[in-house]
Amino acid sequence: MTNQNTRPIVIIDLNSGNLLSLENALKENGENVRRIARPEDHHFTGDELIVLPGQGRFAYVTARIDELNWRHFLNRWLAEGGHLVGICVGMQVLFEGSEEDPESQGLGFLKGRCQRLNHAKTPMIGWAKLDSYKLNMKDQYAYFVNSYAALNSPYATAKVNYGDSFCAAVQKNSVYGFQFHPEKSGRFGRELLQHVCG
Amino acid sequence: MSVVKSPVLSDLAVRIIPCLDVAAGRVVKGTNFKQLVDMGDPIELAQKYQQQGADELVFLDIKASIDSQASALEMVKKVAMNLSIPFAVGGGIKNIEDVHRFFHAGADKVTLNSMALAQPELIDNIARHYGSQSIVVAIDVNLEPDGSHAIYSHGGSRRTNLNYQHWLNEVVTRGAGEILLTAMHKDGTGSGFDCDLLAAFGTNFPIQVIASGGAKKTKDFLDAIQAGADAVLAAGLFHRNEYTVGEIKDYLIQNNIPIRTTL
Repeated sequence: MTNQNTRPIVIIDLNSGNLLSLENALKENGENVRRIARPEDHHFTGDELIVLPGQGRFAYVTARIDELNWRHFLNRWLAEGGHLVGICVGMQVLFEGSEEDPESQGLGFLKGRCQRLNHAKTPMIGWAKLDSYKLNMKDQYAYFVNSYAALNSPYATAKVNYGDSFCAAVQKNSVYGFQFHPEKSGRFGRELLQHVCG
Repeated sequence: MSVVKSPVLSDLAVRIIPCLDVAAGRVVKGTNFKQLVDMGDPIELAQKYQQQGADELVFLDIKASIDSQASALEMVKKVAMNLSIPFAVGGGIKNIEDVHRFFHAGADKVTLNSMALAQPELIDNIARHYGSQSIVVAIDVNLEPDGSHAIYSHGGSRRTNLNYQHWLNEVVTRGAGEILLTAMHKDGTGSGFDCDLLAAFGTNFPIQVIASGGAKKTKDFLDAIQAGADAVLAAGLFHRNEYTVGEIKDYLIQNNIPIRTTL
C-alpha cells in the first residue's frame, strides 16, 4: 500500500499531554504528520485531517484552544465540513460544555454536555468492550482513561457502561470523536486510526 | 433481559499486567528483591507480552538510584515507540522534573514508592499536573510476626512507622489514581496473592487496586480477582515462561471473569 492518497495529518499540540504515542501511531499511516501549536503554523488547504488530542481538565483544554487562537479556526473548519478527530477531552470539547468546568465553553459542534461518571472508582481506567453497530468497532476492547463523558448523543457510534452508559465514540459527517485512546488500544486502535485517516 | 452481573454498571475488564524489573537495561528477577537473574531485553519482552494479550505493562528500574537516569529514559522512549498498549514506569523518581521527563519520553503513568513515602506531596503535585490517572502508588506491605501490617520503603529493605490503613487513605486523598499493592510476605513465594488484604478494600474503595506478589498458578489470579483486585500484576511466572498472558486469560474467561480479548 502506498501513502500517496492519505490526507495530510495535522496534530494540534495544546501542550496538555504526551503526544509521542499518538504521533507515532499516526505515522504508521504515512510520514505526512505535523504537530503544530497555532493555526498560523500550517498552510491549510482544507484537505487535512486535524487531530485534536486532549488531556487534563476540560477548562484547561478549552483555555488553550482560546489562547492559541484555535476557536474561530475550528468553528469554521467544522462548519465547512473539514475532517477532524477528537480524542478523549478532545472529543468532549466538541460538545457544548462539561460538568467538570461548567463555566468553560466547548466548541458546540455536538449538542449536549459531558457529565461525571456515576461510579465509585474514578477515573475509569482500563479496557472496555465497545457496543457498536460499526463493524470496525463492534465488540472490540478499547482503552479508557476518563472521569467525565457525554452520556447521550444522536451521533454516538459506540457506547460503553461505567456507572452510566456513555458515548465511547461519535461521528458526524467527517468528524470523529473517540472517548477512548485509539493510540493505546492495541492493534484494534491502530487499525481504527488507519481507517479514519484514509 | 440479561442477568445483571454486578451491582454497579461497569464494562471494565480486569487487567493482566506483566511487570518488568529492569536493572542496567536488562529485565531481571530476584526473590524478595535479592539475587537478580537476567531475564532478557526489555523491548523484546514487552513486545512478546503485548502479543500475548497483556493489557498494560509496568517497568520498574530497580537500580535507578545507582544507574544514570539517561538509560532509563532511553528505554522508555524505545518502549513508547514499540508498544500500542499503556505502560507505567517507576524507580528513581525524585521530583516533579523526573516525572516530566518520563512523561515526555512517552510513559503513560509513573509508579511511586519510596518517594511517595519520603515526599507525599509529590502525589498531589503529579495529580495537579497530569491528573490522577497518571499516578500509581506502589505500596509494599508486610505481615509482621505480631500480625500487624507494616509499610516498607526502598525496595522492601526499610520498615517505616506508618500505619497501613492511614497510608492507604492518605494516598487516595492526595490524588493517586491506582494502588499497586505488593504483599512482601507473599512475593516470590508462589503461595498466591494475599486475598484477605485485597478483600479488605471492598467495592466502594475509590480507586483501583492492582494485586502483586505471590502468583504461581492460574487459580491464584482468579482468587485475587474474586477477592476484589481490579488488576493483577506478575513478573517471574511470565519471564520463566511458566504461563503466557493468554493462558492466564483463557483460564479467567472460563471462570466468567470479564477479560479483554483481541479479535
